[in-house]
Order: sequence, then C-alpha cells, then structure tokens
Amino acid sequence: MPKFQFDGLADFFAMGGYAFYVWLAYAFFFVVMGWNLIQPRLERRRILKLLQARQAREERNATVPTQEEREHA
Amino acid sequence: MWQWLYKLGSPRHFYEMTTSFLPWLKGVTYFLLIVGLVWGLGFAPPDYQMGDNYRIIYIHVPTALGAMWIYVMMAVMAAMHMIWNIKVADMVAKSSALVGAGFCAVALFTGAVWGRPTWGVYWIWDAKLTSFLILFFVYIGVIALRSAFDSETSGSKAASVLTLVGVVNLPIIYYAAVWWNTLHQPPSELSLSSQGANPPEIWIPAFFTGFGLIGLVFVFVIMRTRNEILWRERRAQWVQDLVKQEAGRA
Repeated sequence: MPKFQFDGLADFFAMGGYAFYVWLAYAFFFVVMGWNLIQPRLERRRILKLLQARQAREERNATVPTQEEREHA
Repeated sequence: MWQWLYKLGSPRHFYEMTTSFLPWLKGVTYFLLIVGLVWGLGFAPPDYQMGDNYRIIYIHVPTALGAMWIYVMMAVMAAMHMIWNIKVADMVAKSSALVGAGFCAVALFTGAVWGRPTWGVYWIWDAKLTSFLILFFVYIGVIALRSAFDSETSGSKAASVLTLVGVVNLPIIYYAAVWWNTLHQPPSELSLSSQGANPPEIWIPAFFTGFGLIGLVFVFVIMRTRNEILWRERRAQWVQDLVKQEAGRA
C-alpha cells in the first residue's frame, strides 16, 4: 500500500516548495474540465427550452381558427 | 457487431444508446480520475531530481496524448463523413474539435508551468512545443472554419477537409523529441523495478488518470453530440416526443 508522502496538510499544499507551479497547473486543468462538463448541460437546457417554446406556439396556433373558418362562423 | 456499429450511425439510436450508457461511463471515469489524482498528488514518491514538481505529469502527459488521439478520432470521423456521408460522424467530429482544443490548452499550459521551474523558461521554440502549438491552432482553425459558413453542409465539408490536412502534424509532434534533440525529452521508458528511473510507484497512478481522461473525452464528446443531435433532428417526431416528455418533468 503506498503511503502518504507529506507531513500533514500544510506540507501537502506546500508541494516541496513548488506549490505555485503545481497548483496553478491543476487549477487550470480543473477549470477547463469543469467548463467542458457544465457547458453542454447549459446548452442542453437551452435547446430543450427553445424547442418547448416552439411546440407550445405551434399548439396555440393550431387552436386559433383560420381566416376561412372565421368567415364561415 | 456491424449491425451495432451501423445503428450508432443513426442519430436516434446514438441518442438512445448513450442515454443508458452515459451514467455508467461517468461513474467509471470519475472513479479512475479521483484514484489517479489523489494517488499522484499525495501518495506517489517524489522524483529524485524534480522533487514534488513532477506531479504535474499526471495531467500533462495524459492531456497531451489525449489532444493527439482526439485529433485522430476527429480525422476518422471526418473521413467517414466525407466518404459515406454519415451525419453522426460529422456531429462527433464537431464535438471533438472543442474537446480537443481544451485538452491542447491544458497540455500547453501545464507544460509551460512545469517548464519554468525545471528548464527555467515558460516557453521556448523547441520542436515538440512548436508542433504542439500548431496542433492547437489547427483545432482553433477547424472550429472557426466550420462556424464561418452559414450553411451547415458547407461548413462541415470545409472543416472535414482541413481536419484531414492537419493529420500531417501528428507524427511530427510524436517524434519531434526524437528527431530533433532540442529541449523537450522523448517519452520515458517505464521501468518495472522500484530502483529504475521511472518506477511503477510513479507510473501506475498515471495510468489511472490516463484511462480516466480517455473516459472523460468520451463523456464530453457524447454530451456535445447528443445536443447536436437534438438540434439537427429537432423536426423529427421522436425529438418532439422527447421535448414534450422533458417539459412534463420540469
């Protein structure tokens, strides 16, 4: 079993003096991956909303009588 | 097998198959990534020359290799789209371009941040670095070219051609450090014993993040492709039904 290489959390965050470089690299990694995970979700929500609105509009239009029907009424 | 592949070519089947497949893929992917990152950051022994700074390797190497094979996948999809006119292939190619550009950016950024304390510079016009930067620009070019067309078919045709031309760059990147011995080191050999320069204690966690990131690529590409399918097939009855169903749930 591999053992923890640092003496406590403070030592872990210090990364043997390379904290700035290591954590900057990992921060950028997480930002890009997080964006890739969130952006398609927002996009999906946007598409569904748009298509729902379109569907509702079409259903409304279907119940409105046409010019011809109104003249015959 | 062929039937299964054939079905994946239909947007509707692709969408339905990935609906049940995606949660499993996400589970396995997150598990691999968490194990790999925790192990790599906290439990792998420090490098005898670079100390703890080398821990950037666990994201740098997999994203760099990932950026290259995403390109291969994109090129295969572009070829399939051009030869057999498979719509899903084009949608996967479009999704891959964005994901690939992201991986490229991470590989370049982590490389720069790693280069500063090890080489003394963030950037240098080394063969490997330069050819990799070109890969990033090719990705950006493919994305920009596609969006420059109003017509979807012309856009995807142009993007496919550029994608296939850009394949030339891949072997250059891969062998750059071997052909021109400038600064970036060639890929390290893995040693099987703990006494070697690259012992299993160091490379095993890299395999976890590596396979985790492969999984993540599929998660990202599938999510984007599903959106693309919903949009392009928006007039199909099955999408209309799905939209109605989702509206009832919200």
